[in-house]
Amino acid sequence: MSAKVDITFTVNGAVKQVSVPANMSALDMLRDQLDLKGAKEACGEGECGACTIIIDDTSVCSCLMYAADCDGRTIETIEGVQTEDGLDPIQQAFVEHGAVQCGYCTPGMVMQAKHMLNKNPNPTEGEIQRGLEGNVCRCTGYRKIIDAVAEVARS
Amino acid sequence: MDQIVEKPDTLIGKPIPKPDAPDKVVGKTTYINDMVLPRMLIAKIKRTDRVHAKILSVDISAAEKVPGIVAIATAENSPKGLIGVLKDNPPLKGDKVRCIRDEIAGVAGETEEAVDEALKLIKVEYEDLPGVFDPEEALKDDAPLIHDDKPGNLSLTFDFEHGDISKAEKDSDIVLEEKYELHYVTHTCMGPGCVIADFDTHGKLTIYTQTQYPYNYKMDLAPALDISAGDIRVIQPPVGGAFGSKLDVYPFEPIAVYLAKKARRPVKLFFSREEEFIASPTRQPARVYIKQGAKKDGTITFRDVNVYLNNGGYTSWGATIPAVMMRTMTGHFRIPNVEFHSKAVYTNNPFAGSFRGYGNVQATYVTATLMDKMAEELGMDPIEFRLKNAQKPGERTPQNSLLKTAALADCIKIGAEKTNFLEKHAANVAAREKPGRIRQGIGIATSIHNAGGAKIHKSDGCGTILTMDDYGRATVITGASEIGQGIDAVITQLVSEELGIPTSDVIIANNDSAIGPWDVGVHASRTTFIAGNAARNAAVKAKQQILAAAARQSNVSIDKLDLRGGHVVQKDNGVSVTKLDRLLRQMHFAGDDAELVMVSEYYEPPSELEDKNHVGDISAAYSHGAYITELEIDTLTGGVKLHKMTCVQDVGKVINKLGIEGQMEGGIAQGIGYGLSEELIIEEGIVKNPNFRDYKVVTAPEMPEIECHFIEDDEETGPFGAKGISELPCIIPGASIANAVYNAIGVRFDNPPITPEKIVRALHGDKIEAAE
Amino acid sequence: MSTIENYLAPSSIDDAAAALAAGSATIVAGGTDLMLQAGSGQKEYAPTLINIQKITEMRGVSLDGDTIRIGALTTITDLLTDEIIAEHLPVMATMADKFASDQIRNAGTVGGNICNASPAGDGIVPLLMYKAEAVLASKPNGSTETRKVPLDEFFTGPGKSVIQENELLIGVDIAVPPAGFVGGFGKFGPRPALEIAMAAVGLGGVVKDGVISDVRVAFGAVAPTPIRSAETEAALEGKKLDETTISAAGEIASSSISPITDIRASDWYRRHLIRVMTEEILNDVS
Repeated sequence: MSAKVDITFTVNGAVKQVSVPANMSALDMLRDQLDLKGAKEACGEGECGACTIIIDDTSVCSCLMYAADCDGRTIETIEGVQTEDGLDPIQQAFVEHGAVQCGYCTPGMVMQAKHMLNKNPNPTEGEIQRGLEGNVCRCTGYRKIIDAVAEVARS
Repeated sequence: MDQIVEKPDTLIGKPIPKPDAPDKVVGKTTYINDMVLPRMLIAKIKRTDRVHAKILSVDISAAEKVPGIVAIATAENSPKGLIGVLKDNPPLKGDKVRCIRDEIAGVAGETEEAVDEALKLIKVEYEDLPGVFDPEEALKDDAPLIHDDKPGNLSLTFDFEHGDISKAEKDSDIVLEEKYELHYVTHTCMGPGCVIADFDTHGKLTIYTQTQYPYNYKMDLAPALDISAGDIRVIQPPVGGAFGSKLDVYPFEPIAVYLAKKARRPVKLFFSREEEFIASPTRQPARVYIKQGAKKDGTITFRDVNVYLNNGGYTSWGATIPAVMMRTMTGHFRIPNVEFHSKAVYTNNPFAGSFRGYGNVQATYVTATLMDKMAEELGMDPIEFRLKNAQKPGERTPQNSLLKTAALADCIKIGAEKTNFLEKHAANVAAREKPGRIRQGIGIATSIHNAGGAKIHKSDGCGTILTMDDYGRATVITGASEIGQGIDAVITQLVSEELGIPTSDVIIANNDSAIGPWDVGVHASRTTFIAGNAARNAAVKAKQQILAAAARQSNVSIDKLDLRGGHVVQKDNGVSVTKLDRLLRQMHFAGDDAELVMVSEYYEPPSELEDKNHVGDISAAYSHGAYITELEIDTLTGGVKLHKMTCVQDVGKVINKLGIEGQMEGGIAQGIGYGLSEELIIEEGIVKNPNFRDYKVVTAPEMPEIECHFIEDDEETGPFGAKGISELPCIIPGASIANAVYNAIGVRFDNPPITPEKIVRALHGDKIEAAE
Repeated sequence: MSTIENYLAPSSIDDAAAALAAGSATIVAGGTDLMLQAGSGQKEYAPTLINIQKITEMRGVSLDGDTIRIGALTTITDLLTDEIIAEHLPVMATMADKFASDQIRNAGTVGGNICNASPAGDGIVPLLMYKAEAVLASKPNGSTETRKVPLDEFFTGPGKSVIQENELLIGVDIAVPPAGFVGGFGKFGPRPALEIAMAAVGLGGVVKDGVISDVRVAFGAVAPTPIRSAETEAALEGKKLDETTISAAGEIASSSISPITDIRASDWYRRHLIRVMTEEILNDVS
């Protein structure tokens, strides 16, 4: 067993204190220790984006991030996106545009779209495509995802 | 005062969001990969590292001692039953290994760490055997024998003959003869392989699986387990994609069951992405020899097709793809004389399974590129030549598929018109003679696919039970599986439409074989058609029961009543006779006359099994498509940029606009991958690129604009006229791209994917000679 | 997988160097390479894992006199928006735009890309072109020292470099390119994103009156390490950038290398791409 590291960080607005093995990924910590199973491990190699989370206002593949590196930082996962008022506009657009089929890529796709729109609220279609380049979807052919993000950008 | 309920717009053809989408966008959906059962163990597989070898010994003694290890299954201590279409695959290998996927042991433990440690400690001794990796090599007399009881390494063969091809060849003005080498691609479902097995204390098995054919799954799984199929309950949690890959039982599933049995605890066995690439199915690679002849006037005279399928070490459903491949080879365009012969041949490669399109991706790549070439050889344009040979309404193909409509010609004509095809095509050809780095290309490809189910089992049916509660909600228990493709939305829509209730008032129950009635599964573009018909017919029955009760109560005759907006209304003026929920309660709580609205429907489509000569109208309907690709090629790097894909497809009727577009676009992305970038590279039986870095699925920036034109010819046997649609979008793009590439640079590729390097090598071949 | 016995997250170069002096350690920055390589068994952890992400002094780009320091923890994304990069080292931004994907650019660091020492490391190619020097810190005798190693002497093989066990890469130093310096970066893979380069070129020089001087040429994915191409530089130095020169440079570029054939590309195709991209950049800057 690798050494344990005690870390404190904020996830979806709540402060968490956990002890994690030094070699554990942020994704495994979220899924197995915090029971936040929205982020998926679909490749474990940073090549598909299904595990995308936002940390300190930046999107990353949580499968390639050390859990210990979350110490002192602020994380947003898919579970924190919906508010009491309902779905986030990005989530709503994904539903209405048919951007979801099997949905396995969807949490990562929503987080990446959110990050992209935070950085660039008025992306062109080409910028949306580039923004989602690290997120693989095998069902939709991306068009409806691009449409959904474009609509959020417009409104 | 009478309440008037206005007749609402029809739901048919509207964009209806999937009912499972909201949970998926908030990360709430619990996929099988996310599931944790109490006391559940983690399991993984020890695989071989050889492609063909005798197993001399398997030593698990050190692995058993790892703290946390609870059970280890090997061939020696597990049931001996076999899986696979030919029952040639022992889930755990005891005597020999035949491909790199082969399973030596399953290990279940308390933690993943313990299991990983134990896997390393399993010692296997082998005696290597010579391998064979090419289907034609494997057929030779001196080839290594892969299965002792399969002489000549022959798995399945398919043969079809119609007319007289020798005579037709003599009568032909031109004959083209080509050889194609079609490659390995794989599904890359985003949710990697996973299964959870759990026994109850009666010895009955509950298996949580990603299967897309839950009822046949029981039948296929049972022989490997030494239990009755009736003692297996199949639960289908949400899955991360399937695309045909889950149409079979694979060894990891019985292995998880063996472990659960030994441990008397639930066992979850799952794949890493690397394992998913190595050990889950592929599309069947095919070597195709084809000869096609024509008269000077463009009339096709014959086709002669010989196919060698690289079966790999075992026979999965993939070996049966010629059943579908053949329909296109023999019946796409009017082919008066035709022969088709295929041999699936065992090799020491990983074995292929079923994949969206099921042999038709390969058949279409071959036929559509050959049609293009023949048009040019004849001096005809690609549109004229195709139209000349397109069947007329009512024609039957040599295998007896009845083509009710003239959709093929319509698809071609509309596609050509919408894209200004001929003008662009000619301009691009002319531009090839001028200097310039970037070349533009346009290409067309067409195909046919079954669109009203496919009777490959004795039944192609689907069962549905529809009940209504006291509040006007309908629960539809259907045999059809939701694997992300959107059948829940379609059924919701069809039932809402018939019952005049909001889509939010329809509940679908379909993930438990102990509850759902039988269905063949999600394959063959059949679910909207078959399950849709079953659901709609059930809704019609429920409606009749409700209206009969309303008629009795209101003294308005039943044929003057309708369901609308949660009311029973008078059909002509919309006057509400009663509210639906109130009526349902009155029916239910009527003492001795009590009735519950609870109907069932088993829908079997009007289609026939093939006879032993492969003749039979296997589908209630067929669909055609013509896809036109516009692209540009950088002749220096070989880079291909897709501009647009214009897709004309005969869909019968659009049910869910969002769903149909999603199926089109998603299929196209997979089809583009087939044509341009995806290849599972297998050298001497070893998978060389088991990762997303080097197995190149299409990403968002590569997607072209997609324009869909749906021909709605109202299929008389389909639900509200709909046909099945979702395989053609994956089938046609590869060939369409190949033809556009030819238009751009004047080079044909008989070996997809058409990678940049292949393009550059074709264009600068002389320099290669010099450099090498 | 090897076991990590100690985890350290120092917040200064001094502390990190001290930790390294204490014994065998693995350093992690963004994690995008290490997590992958440790997970696949390609790399084993040393007993101590040192996470250097909290060393804020190692992140960012600064200009001191004529020297630009890119801190080792500067992310690839930082390069896209940094003003000093945009003004003086724009080819770094061009490279960053072609690097993996947004998520990887956000986590991956310049220092990590260098220390990973991949033959196809995108970030290294323009750094070689800019004649960057690696700045290595260590604390051998109780006080922190630094040494500089020119990047073209830094790599010794795939995944290997001259960096010592007790050393930490704290950044790279680059002399502000002379006035009139123009350059470009080319990378080819079939997809726009998520690609490991089949071949990459970084090329720059001072172009004045159509003549190129102070030429610097670097290639990626064509040798066991990213390399500078002295032959190509010589073929261009002081030449007028006309069609003949450009074509000759392309020819020399492609014939001066001996890349491998693997599943991504053949040696021939790699040489072809090097030629095409070399000529393309030269045409752009001429």
